[in-house]
Amino acid sequence: MARTLSPAALWALALGASVLAVLVALAAGSAGLDRELILSLRAPRVLAAAGVGALLALAGLSLQVLLRNPLADPYVLGTSGGASVGALLALLAGASLWAGAGIGALAAGALLLLLARSALASGDDASPRLILVGAMLAALFGAWATLLLMLTPDERLRGAIFWLVGDLSAAQDNGACVAGAALLFAALALRGRSIDRMMLGAEAAGVLGEPVKRLRLELLVGASLAVGLAVSTAGAVGFVGLVVPQAWRLAGVQQTRQLAGLSALGGATLLVVADLVSRMVAAPMELPVGAVMALLGAPCFIVLLVRGMR
Amino acid sequence: MSTMPLIETRGLALWADDRRLVEHLDWQVRAGERWCLIGRNAVGKSSLLRALAGLPVPGRAGELHWRGIPQAEWPAAEAATLRAWMPQQPGDRFALSVRRLLELSVVRAGAAPLDLASLDIADLAPRAVTQLSGGERQRVAIAQCAVQGAPLMLLDEPISFQDPAHQGLVARWCAAWVAAEPSRALVMSSHDMHWVARAATHALALLGDGRWRAGTVTEVLQADSLREIFGCDWLPAGSSWLPV
Repeated sequence: MARTLSPAALWALALGASVLAVLVALAAGSAGLDRELILSLRAPRVLAAAGVGALLALAGLSLQVLLRNPLADPYVLGTSGGASVGALLALLAGASLWAGAGIGALAAGALLLLLARSALASGDDASPRLILVGAMLAALFGAWATLLLMLTPDERLRGAIFWLVGDLSAAQDNGACVAGAALLFAALALRGRSIDRMMLGAEAAGVLGEPVKRLRLELLVGASLAVGLAVSTAGAVGFVGLVVPQAWRLAGVQQTRQLAGLSALGGATLLVVADLVSRMVAAPMELPVGAVMALLGAPCFIVLLVRGMR
Repeated sequence: MSTMPLIETRGLALWADDRRLVEHLDWQVRAGERWCLIGRNAVGKSSLLRALAGLPVPGRAGELHWRGIPQAEWPAAEAATLRAWMPQQPGDRFALSVRRLLELSVVRAGAAPLDLASLDIADLAPRAVTQLSGGERQRVAIAQCAVQGAPLMLLDEPISFQDPAHQGLVARWCAAWVAAEPSRALVMSSHDMHWVARAATHALALLGDGRWRAGTVTEVLQADSLREIFGCDWLPAGSSWLPV
């Protein structure tokens, strides 16, 4: 076991890093820009990046407990893909983008839970099977999203890159994502001990007196709404939900309360920095932020998966 | 209330697919008793322990009462103060520390803290559960049940990963745990008849066709009944028996 820092030190670290990231992102490359332009153009984008990052990290944490799998991530398991399809369908029908994304994410999450039910109930190690089922769901929803985009070349729909990879370049956010992340954090912190016990397994938690069915439903709904909000703001950005909670776990954080707060801060920081990188690395062109996250996250995922299988 | 049996079954029947595991089980577990379930592989010991813990089993009929109250009427939070259950395999997915795991398992706070040295796990507290050996993890699982604070403990094969010295330690620990409070009782399962003779006061044998035998360890652990239970011959070895 690596030596671990105290929770207070980790909190200070995470808070400092996120404030620094936001300041750097606001100021970066802005020598010629005036204050007004920074506040009206760049601040909403940084706010959106921070909110989406926090939402995805908390959604990842929720899915990991729900599926008892530290490798769970909304993008890898198709929850984000379901949100993309739901949002596209909602747009075509003229309904609310956010509601469509939320319902799509919920449906994808429920489908995964249903498919993984026997493996989860039997208690045997379902990790590789669960991840494979989720990856196939993600591929399926990606195909559906592509099909919808091909069939309806409509300007309202935004580009394929947004829906399949994730992109913050046109993000319009008035703080809804940050507020949503704060709500989800509060809900997770409130149920901290119960969620900790869910990590021992559903039956073990039930024997300890936890209302397992209700907790599962709450985790599913919370994660799905968070993914819906994140996807309708920034598209299907991947791996934030995997990398951030896992990094804190490796740093020795075990309690859900601590893990949720630190993951929200870490997710916000990570996506703000990733967005900054996506703007700077090939300036004046912009990379989609989802591509930057995948460049970082996919290797992490592979390393964790290979280590876990050993 | 406390004179009520901790567990009472009336006509309990369990089955899996088409197989009858146990039928017409009329049986009681009273405070102070240490029961061991014995029988061949796949005879239904784990299923019976699951049913006694109030967990889902493939097929089930008949009555199960905890302290005289039908098991289904116990709210989950109340049930947690009555019975603890240890599965055969822990199935850890997250690298929680042993200390954290034991903190999470406490249901009734205020009970006397468990002496980790009594299960030889005092050094393991900061370690991650995923890094323990099978035997270490199993003793931690027994400790999890103990810190829960419930008077009834259901242990599915508590010594299957223990070396000889730790088998003796667990047997003595079980006896001491039940003796420490007058309300306590223990139901476990094992394949080691020598260990059963040391650790248990009573045995419930499942014969594999629905029939069962219950009694004190000296009653059930006899050459002819062991032959009927396991289908092999047995030789006496001191106060216990060895399979031929």
